[in-house]
Amino acid sequence: MIDTVTQFLSDNLVLIVGAVKAAIIAVALLSSVPLLVWLERRLMGRFQVRLGPNRVGPFGLAQPFADAVKLLFKESIVQGSADKFLFFLAPAVVVFTAIVTFSAIPFGASFTLFGQEIGPHVANINVGLLFVFAISSMGIYGIVLAGLASNNKYSLMGGLRSSAQMISYELTLGLAALGVIIVSGSLNLVEIVEDQAVVPNIILQPLAFILFFTAGVAETNRAPFDLPEAEQELVAGFHTEYTGMKFAMFFMGEYINMITMSAMVTVLFLGGWNAYFFEFLVPPVIGPIIVFAAKVFLLLCVFIWLRSTFPRIRYDRLMTFGWKVMLPLAVLNLMVAGFFKVL
Amino acid sequence: MFDLAYQTIVVVIGITAILASFGVILCASPIYSALYLIGNMICLALLFLLYNAEFIAAVQIIVYAGAVMILFLFIIALLGAKKEEKTSSWEKPAAFAFVPVLFGELLMALTADAGRPALGQFTEELIASVGNAQAVGMELFSRHLIPFELASILLLAATVGVICLAKFPAKIGGRRTK
Repeated sequence: MIDTVTQFLSDNLVLIVGAVKAAIIAVALLSSVPLLVWLERRLMGRFQVRLGPNRVGPFGLAQPFADAVKLLFKESIVQGSADKFLFFLAPAVVVFTAIVTFSAIPFGASFTLFGQEIGPHVANINVGLLFVFAISSMGIYGIVLAGLASNNKYSLMGGLRSSAQMISYELTLGLAALGVIIVSGSLNLVEIVEDQAVVPNIILQPLAFILFFTAGVAETNRAPFDLPEAEQELVAGFHTEYTGMKFAMFFMGEYINMITMSAMVTVLFLGGWNAYFFEFLVPPVIGPIIVFAAKVFLLLCVFIWLRSTFPRIRYDRLMTFGWKVMLPLAVLNLMVAGFFKVL
Repeated sequence: MFDLAYQTIVVVIGITAILASFGVILCASPIYSALYLIGNMICLALLFLLYNAEFIAAVQIIVYAGAVMILFLFIIALLGAKKEEKTSSWEKPAAFAFVPVLFGELLMALTADAGRPALGQFTEELIASVGNAQAVGMELFSRHLIPFELASILLLAATVGVICLAKFPAKIGGRRTK
């Protein structure tokens, strides 16, 4: 009996290691969402010269958990005119795609544990960059379906706006990333990070970095590009009709997408887990992961900073900006990068 | 053992793809038809993945499931998703007659050249050594360069045509109308 069990374990070690890594990353992502909400509310409070949540627990740390409990116990309302199946499917699609996207992102140098080489990523995919774009582009469906299924004019408008915005900025995102692919000559995210061991891509491709980050903010529907949920015009857009946990799932998706986008910027432009001048400070196994997390944390703070600084831009200006400024700049950057590569 | 599991997965995904394509034509609501089509495209991407074509699988999802189908849903949302009413027309029996003809042609194509499997120069080992995207790129930009460029010019012409149709008002009787 024991023999068959150990035999099975050693035969399927790859599968088991993969499953454990997937579970750890899914749980870590989901549990980082309340912390990120807390961070955002605290920082926003400071930016707007007020205190932010500070009553529940030390520094208000228990506030997000109180909120989560409230959302879980709220009554789930589905209005009669809604398409029930699509109404339930939409938030699930948003969270599912958000978590799966992160599975291709490497967040540390590989290390050896019990004689097994373990890379801190669920899957080291040969075309990792394309995988991330593919799955994150599927996330738009959640928002479009939420708009369609609610059977509400505001929701429909929000869903349509959101899909138009995400399609427009996805092009810029992809073209900016192509600049990085030209420089490093690989679609594999681990190889892209290892290629930046000496100089991070932000120095070689500064324009691509700015374009990618701006398009990333628009892709995650964050302020100042949070048009789909514009409160004044659309009474919160596609999630008008959602309550309780289904409502919270849209926000979970948005915050996980924020983390994923920050991690992508870190991998593509900031050199991943390379610490450069501070390499001597980094402990061996856990160190690269801490370096990576610190870079992601910094970018997340920039996301929050942007939200509390800029007013929301008008819809026609958003489209003009996306198609007439960002896209030509991205094509120009691509051409310049290709020119230097050939040289 | 492993091979059996692999074949089972291939067959299950293939059957799911066929069922999803039936869903596309049998659903009354256009939203559900579009969703079944997305499901079908994801199944096709999974099949590409199972046949070691990671690059094509990713591109399949980005282009078809990600971009094309989003535009489908966009149009459905704009025009209003009303359920179709069932009407009888002469097209139905014609379609039913057409399906066996297509299947017959497919079978003929399969049996005519059974001795020679359609294999390219890229084996599994070669793809693993040069990389998936590189293999597609080398084929596309060397042997199939002219068809590739022709297709891109065709797409560009179509894009310009769409902008011309949408942007400039049509001339009726030699006059510009607003």
